[in-house]
Amino acid sequence: MANEFILEMNHITKMYGSNAVLKDVTLRIRPGEIHALLGENGAGKSTLMNVLFGMPVIHSTGGFEGEVIFDGQKVNIASPMDAMEKGIGMVHQEFMLIPGFSVTDNIKLNREITRPWPVSRVLGKDLEFMNREAMSADARKALDAVGMNIEEYTLVSGLPIGHMQFIEIAREIDKSGMKLLVFDEPTAVLTESEAQQLLGVMKKIAAQGIAIIFITHRLDEVMDAANTITILRDGTLVTTVAKAETTPEQLAGLMIGRGSEGVIHVARREKELKSGIAMSIRNLWVNMPGEVVRGVDLDVREGEILGVGGLAGQGKIGIPNGVMGLYEAMGEVTFEGKKIALGGAGAALKAGLAMVSEDRRGVGLLLDQSIEDNIAFTAMQVHGDFMKHFLRQKDTGAIRRYAEEMIRELDIRCTSPAQPVGTLSGGNQQKVCVARALAMKPKFLFVSEPTRGIDIGAKQLVLETLVKLNREQGMTIVMVSSELQELRSICDRIAIVAEGKVVDILTADASDTAFGLAMSGKKIKEGESA
Amino acid sequence: MSERLEGKGAAKRGNRFYLSIVLFVLAGILLIGAVAGYILRGSASTRANLDKMRDSAVLHAATEGLVENIAQTARAEKLKELRADKNFRKRGLDEVNSICDEAMSAARIEAEKLYSNPAVEDEAALESAIEGFEAVLATSGKLESAERAVYSDIYLELVEGISDWTAVAAEGADDDAVISALAETSPALKDEANAHLRPGFVKLARDMAAAQQARQDAELQEQLTTMMTGGIADWSEYAGLQGDALWEKLTAELPELAENERFKDALLEKAAEYVAAAESGEPLPEAQASEEGVEPVSETQVDYAYFAPSAELAKEQQDNEEAFQALDAQLVTIIPDLGSLTGKLQDTLRADIEKVIWPGSLDFTARYEAYMAQKADRVLSGGAANTLKLASKAEALLLGGIALLLLALVMLFWETLTARFGVPRTIITLFFIYLCLLAELYNISVRMMLGNVLERMTMYGVLVLAMMPGIQCGIGLNMGMTIGCISGLMGIVLSLQFNMTGFLAMLFACLSGALISLPLGWAYSKLLNRMKGNEMTISTYVGFSFVSLMCIGWMMLPFNNPKIIWLLSGHGLRVTHSLLGSFAHLLDNFLAFKVLGIKVPTGGLLFLGVCCGIMWLFSRSRTGIAMTAAGSNPRFAEASGINVNRMRTVGTVLSTMIAALGIVIYSQAFGYAQLYTAPRQLGFIASSAILIGGATVSKAKVSHVLIGVFLFEGVLVFGQQIANSVLSGGGLSEVMRIMISNGIILYALTQSGGGRRE
Repeated sequence: MANEFILEMNHITKMYGSNAVLKDVTLRIRPGEIHALLGENGAGKSTLMNVLFGMPVIHSTGGFEGEVIFDGQKVNIASPMDAMEKGIGMVHQEFMLIPGFSVTDNIKLNREITRPWPVSRVLGKDLEFMNREAMSADARKALDAVGMNIEEYTLVSGLPIGHMQFIEIAREIDKSGMKLLVFDEPTAVLTESEAQQLLGVMKKIAAQGIAIIFITHRLDEVMDAANTITILRDGTLVTTVAKAETTPEQLAGLMIGRGSEGVIHVARREKELKSGIAMSIRNLWVNMPGEVVRGVDLDVREGEILGVGGLAGQGKIGIPNGVMGLYEAMGEVTFEGKKIALGGAGAALKAGLAMVSEDRRGVGLLLDQSIEDNIAFTAMQVHGDFMKHFLRQKDTGAIRRYAEEMIRELDIRCTSPAQPVGTLSGGNQQKVCVARALAMKPKFLFVSEPTRGIDIGAKQLVLETLVKLNREQGMTIVMVSSELQELRSICDRIAIVAEGKVVDILTADASDTAFGLAMSGKKIKEGESA
Repeated sequence: MSERLEGKGAAKRGNRFYLSIVLFVLAGILLIGAVAGYILRGSASTRANLDKMRDSAVLHAATEGLVENIAQTARAEKLKELRADKNFRKRGLDEVNSICDEAMSAARIEAEKLYSNPAVEDEAALESAIEGFEAVLATSGKLESAERAVYSDIYLELVEGISDWTAVAAEGADDDAVISALAETSPALKDEANAHLRPGFVKLARDMAAAQQARQDAELQEQLTTMMTGGIADWSEYAGLQGDALWEKLTAELPELAENERFKDALLEKAAEYVAAAESGEPLPEAQASEEGVEPVSETQVDYAYFAPSAELAKEQQDNEEAFQALDAQLVTIIPDLGSLTGKLQDTLRADIEKVIWPGSLDFTARYEAYMAQKADRVLSGGAANTLKLASKAEALLLGGIALLLLALVMLFWETLTARFGVPRTIITLFFIYLCLLAELYNISVRMMLGNVLERMTMYGVLVLAMMPGIQCGIGLNMGMTIGCISGLMGIVLSLQFNMTGFLAMLFACLSGALISLPLGWAYSKLLNRMKGNEMTISTYVGFSFVSLMCIGWMMLPFNNPKIIWLLSGHGLRVTHSLLGSFAHLLDNFLAFKVLGIKVPTGGLLFLGVCCGIMWLFSRSRTGIAMTAAGSNPRFAEASGINVNRMRTVGTVLSTMIAALGIVIYSQAFGYAQLYTAPRQLGFIASSAILIGGATVSKAKVSHVLIGVFLFEGVLVFGQQIANSVLSGGGLSEVMRIMISNGIILYALTQSGGGRRE
């Protein structure tokens, strides 16, 4: 009897230390089906795939619980090589191709077809000749199968990005005995027509009886190609449904679905802000690697906390970095009626903007310098504060006083203001970053991923500080975060960014469905939002 | 995983703890031994035995030297004998050598039989001989070396005016005229106390003038030959002519030849050659230009043999002579066998004594020490020998005990120490302390060496300071500081060109050096800004190639002051320029005073202090803080609106300009300015000094500069002296400098990941 499922991952639980990232997840794939795997960042998709491929990161952190049944047999996959031999392939999101090699060489890499000759018979297989004709023929077949009409002897380095994805796929299906292919966000870097072509190829492969696990954020692609859909959220299995039984809206709701339990509880404003526009961003393009912004229009009201959310890599972090001049940017940014020159941090800082960077250790701090010097640095450089007139020396007394005040106010846990920030915990480092921004006495504050990598207590303190600044000093705050819950707990409005553009601006109490759809790039229709 | 790592760390800590316990125990044993040794020294019998051993050592060393001398003499005589033989040329070198060696070893065996265990007949006579010997050792040569220092000083001054007095000497003026010409340049010669030196210097002046004349003649003759070769188209026309007839025709063609009749013979000979060549149809023989350039007169060394001793010295020499004679007589009474060889023993002893006095070889002392160390039981036996050993080794035991104690303490507190000071600084400091202990052990004056270290601190301090802004602004170790050094050297050479002296010259050299380095440093920083991440490679390469470029530059630049250019070729700067007439030791002697026999170069230290102070103030200014931030985290600095490239430019230019000042200070302390390839290594020295001081390739402070330059120079000065005492080899100090400085740089790079800062 043929097995109903080619792959069964039953009751998988994976702990990193005391932190469970997968809790009793079950995934079952039929032969020849396209099975979509959905979930937000951090939902556990990657970990599940790492388990499937036997990645070293899994084994070195204590393995996992549960069983994996592949092709009817209980298996113990020890390494990615092992997985490949069993017939599980992966199409990577970052292309694993060697640019200087030809298409054929890339497809047949490490699986070359060879021809023996006398020397190799004596000295071993490593010295055999490559049988280029056979290799080319194989590569041609694989390329035809994915619908590529490029010549197999061209070099990979000259090809457009879209083609590289197809070469990856060709390489996987060229492997004999392939039974299951994993596509990890394959359409992220493709144009629309290429994406369509790819979906076509996937269907063709599936028709040959190879099962496909399709990881993506684009709900319309899921609805187009997938047969079955599994949704993960916070490491738990939400549901597995057949495509016919569901709608994109339902999927979006299930992906987010956390109700409204906030990280902190903040009293809502009694009435909606109707103040004027503090900053208006028009057609902003930012060339930040991995977070490209492609034409954002956004208005920030005076005195509000505006959240910017969205999935990782979609460009939300690019917005503050572009406005503050940390990355190459184009477009028009007006703050309080005055244009801000892009392309250098000086102009934005002088205009009264400040930013707490998401890259705390890289951009946010001088790790080997003291807390007080970090706090005073930007204000000293931009406004010339904390300086003595005599010999234009730094005013250590004033810096110490201000640092002590900030340490008290933000509750920075340290031995003294002279402690190097590199020795502080993540949360306290973040507070130092906030203190440095506050030393600028800004009218407008960008906060980018303020809670990344810090513990829950520190998270609350940072968020409370932001709310306090907003309510007591009327500071306008734009907070960029991947944690939708945080945004919903303190923001007045939340802009959702996908593929470098603002898809929708929602209120904190908008439905999960609305957020889910926006994150996958679809704006909910009028009247449905509630 | 982290638990496992911690476990490993704990195990290491445990090992270190046990190791330190073992070291403590060993140190304790040595210290107890030392105390015992000192107590034993108090006893009369041990003291007497020690004296006996010392006497025996002197005798042994003297006779060993004598045996060696006899053997060498026998070899030389054999060689002379062989040379006299008419078959000498037929023998191969190997054969000659083996015959001579045979003769030598035969003589040695013979001599050893006679003298290696001299029978001592009269203990009291031996005692007094040894005392006399030691007295001679103590006084002999001191005066002579002082006198030679006077010759050298005068000579160095004279080099300044070499063209003036050689001109006078060349005219064939009488002695008085030459003396007064010499005294023009070196007023010290006018001093009556130095009257006895005058004949020597007159001889020197005449010799140099003659040498110069000879060189000029050679050059002129060469020019004339070249002219003749090129000026006459067809030599066959001269066929058949000879002697005066040939000369007449030649001078008719080339009138310049007629003006130089004195080369007539040589030129005619050459012409005859050409005529012969033309007749047989062969090509003309090439006129051979002399390959070895003409050696400048100023490079000639002083030959002390020219100089008559002063009255005092003559007296001392006389006294010593008598002392030797007396000693000789005494030794003959002690060792009857010596009777037949009186003269030789005397020569040997004198040669040994002179070697003791004139550094370079420590023959006699080495023998004496070796004997003292090894042969204690040759004179004594049994328990007495052991007590004696303990007593004589008390100092060594004490110092060894202290050394082990220190090592044990360092082991025990290794983690605290390295966390506080870093690994290199801990090790180098420990090494430095050990060197001090060793110096004590080898009876080298620590005080004198400390003075030396102070002097070298002022010499290198500013150069090391030049590293600081480079590190702070993010370009890492600025090996390209040689650009600044060369600018500074240019400033010095300019000051010499314009005949400046004193503070004016130094000020001018500093200012013009800094001015020249400004555009160079700017261009250099632009280059570095385009090569981020590879600064170390680029700066090393730029530094080296700029030195090479300037090797051409020094030759080509249109300097024309005869004091600084090659005298005979008339263009191109000399390699070494004495600053004695200009600003040598100007800063070091400014307000200098002596404490405990150490000369404190107040001016130099003050200047270094002021420079460091200015750098400290700068690093606390807004620009300085921005520069440090741009260096340690460029993205952070950018996010605060700082132009990182501009800050790197500021740092690089500053570093280059300080290097220009640094080389001026270095040259004034050294007394000479050295051009061409001399500045090439300075970047490495400065880098390793600041790294020893605790800086890393991305972080530096003023304190690192001061500590670093003290430790680095300290280790070098002490290490050099001690290495010379222990191994008595020449270039060891240079080897050590290279090992230490390159090792430290390498260590710093491994710590930083190849100059990249993350």
